[in-house]
Amino acid sequence: MSDFLNTYGSLIVSMVLGALLGLSLYLPLMTGQLSLASPGFYALGGYIAAILSTQVFRVSGGLFPIPLLLLEMLVAGIVSGILGVMVGIPALRLRGIYLAIATIAFVEVLRVLSLNLDITGGAVGIFGIPQPFQTPIEYLWIAFPLLIISMVLLYRLERIRAGRAFTAIREDELAAGAMGINPTYYKVLAFTLGAILAGIAGAVSAHFLNTWNARQGTFDASIVYLTSVLIGGTRTFVGPVLGGMVFTALPEILRGIADTSGLPTWLAGFLRDGRLIIFGFLIVVGTIFFPQGLVTPELFKRKMKNKA
Amino acid sequence: MKRPAVRTSAVFLTVAFLLSACTQTNPVGTNPTTAPSAAPGSSSAIPIGIALAQTSNVALLGQEGIAGAKIAEKYFNDKGGIDGTPIKLIVQDTGGEEAGAINAFQTLISQNKVVGIVGPTLSQQAFSADPIAERTKVPVIGASNTAKGIPEIGDYVARVSAPVSIVAPLSLKAALKLNPNIKKVAVFYAQNDAFSKSETEIFQQTVKDQKLDLVTVQKFQTSDTDFQTQTTNTINLKPDLVIISGLAADGGNLVRQLRELGYKGTIVGGNGFNTSNIFNVCKVLCDGVLVAQAYSPEYSSEVNAAFRTAYLNQYKKEPPQFSAQAFAAVQVYAEALKALNQKTKISTMPLPQLRTELNRQLLAGTYQTPLGEIGFTPVGDVKQKEFYVAQLKVDADGNNGKFALVK
Repeated sequence: MSDFLNTYGSLIVSMVLGALLGLSLYLPLMTGQLSLASPGFYALGGYIAAILSTQVFRVSGGLFPIPLLLLEMLVAGIVSGILGVMVGIPALRLRGIYLAIATIAFVEVLRVLSLNLDITGGAVGIFGIPQPFQTPIEYLWIAFPLLIISMVLLYRLERIRAGRAFTAIREDELAAGAMGINPTYYKVLAFTLGAILAGIAGAVSAHFLNTWNARQGTFDASIVYLTSVLIGGTRTFVGPVLGGMVFTALPEILRGIADTSGLPTWLAGFLRDGRLIIFGFLIVVGTIFFPQGLVTPELFKRKMKNKA
Repeated sequence: MKRPAVRTSAVFLTVAFLLSACTQTNPVGTNPTTAPSAAPGSSSAIPIGIALAQTSNVALLGQEGIAGAKIAEKYFNDKGGIDGTPIKLIVQDTGGEEAGAINAFQTLISQNKVVGIVGPTLSQQAFSADPIAERTKVPVIGASNTAKGIPEIGDYVARVSAPVSIVAPLSLKAALKLNPNIKKVAVFYAQNDAFSKSETEIFQQTVKDQKLDLVTVQKFQTSDTDFQTQTTNTINLKPDLVIISGLAADGGNLVRQLRELGYKGTIVGGNGFNTSNIFNVCKVLCDGVLVAQAYSPEYSSEVNAAFRTAYLNQYKKEPPQFSAQAFAAVQVYAEALKALNQKTKISTMPLPQLRTELNRQLLAGTYQTPLGEIGFTPVGDVKQKEFYVAQLKVDADGNNGKFALVK
């Protein structure tokens, strides 16, 4: 068991972080807004943690204190939230593909900024980020409660007035507006909540990855997370969590299968080198057979009915 | 109503199967420690991990490294391995991402039980994955990490790739030797590439140290294909020398456009030009470009002759620098293991002790590699004796190019 944790510890933490990023994309989707800005806030949160831990809270020797890590997460969340409101209000006047383009542009602006500023270390980025834990698996102490709290909050959110308003806007914005729901307010709210979550996840990731640079949270990452959310399911928060986890783990699982003894050499070779081909193939199959995503609310409803 | 349920459960079953595969592989990986005789190839061969990129956009560099390492594996096993025990390379793909490098390192360390690791490909990945090896006390030798601060990550981190700060200034000095009248210098660099960014800083510092006039610094992206603005701006300033830090595709295109727009002066390329792929990009227009190298195929020594012949036979072209450096990294492990085995039998040592002793041993030795004689500084940076400056020579029809050594 300890061997398993040693090998896959970092993967498990990546899976939890992937689930958090999936949730951050899901929040704007709750109001039907296709926003790809999450990786931008993720990158921002990471830079905040990286700069604070390497330049402001200098800790000499030993482990990085966890309260300081929590403080960094708080700062990252607040800054991402403020920026989220500032970007959200103008950007959410756009819809569909135009909103997607605007949010991609936002991610690009952040990327170019981080390449040009001295404080972000240009293309090399920031390295030597101090570690709060001895082994990667211990990051679960931070990441796992964060995921549970987010899931509980989202579970509640889907059942209170604000969440119902989100769904109403998703189904028909005009009708929702006619019923007295303020669409702009709720859309910016969902967008900002997503931004805060992405920023906090970024702060944890920066410590987890030991280094942070402009390649984190790029357009490519947006697409991967969007895919995982769409395939996981966009109608309930369980979908993005499952999708984020599965899609983070898939390349590594295929690596694991390739190492299983007893496989013919050609098959092992294909699994190892063709991992990304299989990955792409599964995405295509997933979108064809599960247009609503793997996890749909009907799935839960049917279970309930069976029991009754 | 029934069919979707079947579909969903089929998918969940698949996912469950995939997840269980994770656990299944594990006992296989642990076999060598519990039952050494049961697993052929693991008790008999000494596993060395290779964590290089086989996929993503850095795969080109990673595959050059793997080619070099494979040749080294065969070369040293043919010579009898470690006193009769062969070495065995275990290759794990890092991809181009930081998380990929961490996962590859974890798999090599805890599952494949390697004695040491060669890699990862990018310096940025090294900043991410090397601390993992440092904490688990597994030696790492970087074969293509040139950024500042890599050996400083820890006691278990070393590299055989000479840092940019040593290699980069040489080509500039060679250019000044060829043409002492150079006064005005223009610098270009790829802003989004970590390597080019650190290399250009060294170049600019050298330009200042040589009391030359730095007329302009132009930035571009490695994904750019059009450099009209930067080149026209620069040509108007009439520089005598242009220094380019970029990768083969963008750098080669930049040279082409500079020449097409009428720039006649000397061009110095950075380490990104150190690949034969450059000839496909700029053909005859890159004739005469100066590049500093940490490796030259023309270096005459027994081991380099063997390496070069093996590479030529297999790939039908001259070995590139990254292959030679990966070869050297595997060689350092092979020779350090041999030296260690003469003191105490390595087969009797438990793995953690072997890793620690191996790390101490490899830092202490000197090695006759294809790169020339190398050793390590106390912190783990490479001490290399020979460096080269080459000039790109291309046939008039632009089909055949080679790196000709500048004496």
